[in-house]
Amino acid sequence: MQLTNKGSVATALAGAACALLGTPAAQAEEDMLKDWKFDTAILYYGETDRVSLVEGVINASKTNDDDSLFNVKLVIDTLTGASANGAVAQPYAQTFSRPSGKDGYVVNAGDTPLDDTFRDTRVQVSSSWMQPFADTWRATGAVNVSTEYDYLSLGLSGLLEKDLFMRNTTLSAGLSFQFDSIDPVGGTPDALTSMLTPTYIGDDNDEGEDEFEWDDDYEEGENKTGSESKTTTDLIVGVTQVINRRMLMQFNYGLSVVDGYMTDPYKLVSVVDGAGMTQDVIYEDRPDSRTKHSFFWQTKYALDSGVVDVSYRFATDDWEIDSHTIDSRFRFNLGDNNYIQPHLRYYQQSAAEFYRPFLNQNDPMPMYASADYRVGEMTAYTVGLKYGHKMENGHEWAVRAEYYQQDPKNAGFDEPGVLADLDLYPSVKAVILQFNYHF
Amino acid sequence: MKRKLAAILALVAVAQLSGCASLGVQPWERDLLAKDEMALGAEGVDLGLDDHIYFSKEATSGGRSFAGGGCGCN
Amino acid sequence: MGRIRALAGIIGLSAGLLFTTANLAVAAQPAPELVLNLTSQQANLSDYQGQVVYLDFWASWCKPCQRSFPWMNEMQAKYGEQGFTVIAINLDSERKLADEFLARLPAHFPVAFDPDGNSAQTYKLKGMPTSYLIDKAGNLRVAHQGFHVEKQARYEQEIKGLLAE
Repeated sequence: MQLTNKGSVATALAGAACALLGTPAAQAEEDMLKDWKFDTAILYYGETDRVSLVEGVINASKTNDDDSLFNVKLVIDTLTGASANGAVAQPYAQTFSRPSGKDGYVVNAGDTPLDDTFRDTRVQVSSSWMQPFADTWRATGAVNVSTEYDYLSLGLSGLLEKDLFMRNTTLSAGLSFQFDSIDPVGGTPDALTSMLTPTYIGDDNDEGEDEFEWDDDYEEGENKTGSESKTTTDLIVGVTQVINRRMLMQFNYGLSVVDGYMTDPYKLVSVVDGAGMTQDVIYEDRPDSRTKHSFFWQTKYALDSGVVDVSYRFATDDWEIDSHTIDSRFRFNLGDNNYIQPHLRYYQQSAAEFYRPFLNQNDPMPMYASADYRVGEMTAYTVGLKYGHKMENGHEWAVRAEYYQQDPKNAGFDEPGVLADLDLYPSVKAVILQFNYHF
Repeated sequence: MKRKLAAILALVAVAQLSGCASLGVQPWERDLLAKDEMALGAEGVDLGLDDHIYFSKEATSGGRSFAGGGCGCN
Repeated sequence: MGRIRALAGIIGLSAGLLFTTANLAVAAQPAPELVLNLTSQQANLSDYQGQVVYLDFWASWCKPCQRSFPWMNEMQAKYGEQGFTVIAINLDSERKLADEFLARLPAHFPVAFDPDGNSAQTYKLKGMPTSYLIDKAGNLRVAHQGFHVEKQARYEQEIKGLLAE
């Protein structure tokens, strides 16, 4: 008869409930011999005056007798708040139509135009199976599905790993295919065509809502079509090497080829005259192919009481976006059951070749243009702190608080007329709060 | 310039691999490396959440694992 | 193009390395002598000649070791009277960690402590855990790399086979 403790999901959950109530679990499950392990987390991300996100994750993994591993993860997130729509600020109030085309919104003079239409819930389910074979090989297969009201993503991936030199070296190679379908609210706008600008007529109606008037010639959705899609093929090859008793390193090369619709259907570009005054607002357009290369290097170093984890990533692509990322976590154990972990991250990217903060009326229309600051030049940094505690029953909880600031930069564009007096590259400041529970 | 850089980095990777045979530890000296927090995939949930945030807010994704993201985040 | 050639070079080199295999076959040879620092006394491995010995190298940080202990307890209980014993050599550099492990998973068989790893060097261990079955004449007969729950029945057959000799 097997003496190993198989454990059960129900007992584990009961243990978690007892732990949360502050009473020790009646039957302290030995974490070591449990085959099911659960990781749960809830995250809040909030930008000042802009987007907020709440995300919940439940991750379950089961180790089998043959050391194979089954993993299933559920993610649910809801997004609310306003994002920059790409148009430039002006010294007077501006009106924009919402993506649905049937409504509009007003932006005050001097403000960066923000569209607050987005209230979205996303659900994602992913699952993977890792099978070891022939002593030093591991094969993993994974699927994932993600859905929200205007977006569906389906993915499949495979990974092969081989241990060498008494498991001091591990080689890995992976391939992934992803199919994304986007069905924008109101339809996909025709590239670089004008947004229909409504006229604001006041808020005198019963509900006190803003009301808008449309041009007589306006035919709703006339420059918008149906849904679009894109495919992403990724290849990743890597080497993991034990350096010495305390240190481990990983080096990965990644190739990503994306084909299809990559434009953001809700983002706009302002067309301004010589005095910097907006004459037209058009929908952005991005190329329909993108090839990215990334080089990733990570080192983990075991201190006597903690871990130092530093990684560097360099990425380059045919949109001419180059980026550098340095990410570091310093874990300091406080006794056997507690730790604190400061986190520092620095990110820098160059602007895409088609990035334009706005277009000049007198210049010829480029083939592609986007004013989305996320493909412009920017630096960003994150500072955070995490605290974790392991309880008597073997369960663990942790809290994390971080501050993330993005600083978009002028990638060398002149600011004619009134634009010189406006802040065209406002910083985006966000707070991240997270709670984790492991059992 | 980019091609040269990529070729150099690829050569570094190959060179690192041939030097791999001489680096490492004996199987019974892996006490520190065996700690949960030393696993490359440690704090997987945190890494996944961070990846989601940075994929939505920046132009680069992946590196540690597949670059593909799954949401139409605004 | 240079990029693609370099990548092909990496893949080619990797493919070449893939075909090296770890040879774990053990030709019957006398088990190298060891000084065993047991919990309450010192002994030599040769003192156990005449018994079938399951020599297991373990450490607190080795996850499969956690699954091997209940099975080794079971084997000791089942075959101990028939001239069989498990001897588990601990390779933790800190005795405290081994003691914590044994407090959670008590061993009903002799445990020896080797914080310097000398016995591991002598036996040229290629992985953790590693175990050897030594017959009544003191020869190494079987080597197990790692501990696999699904191979337990086969391991037990090997013990029974050596006891029957």
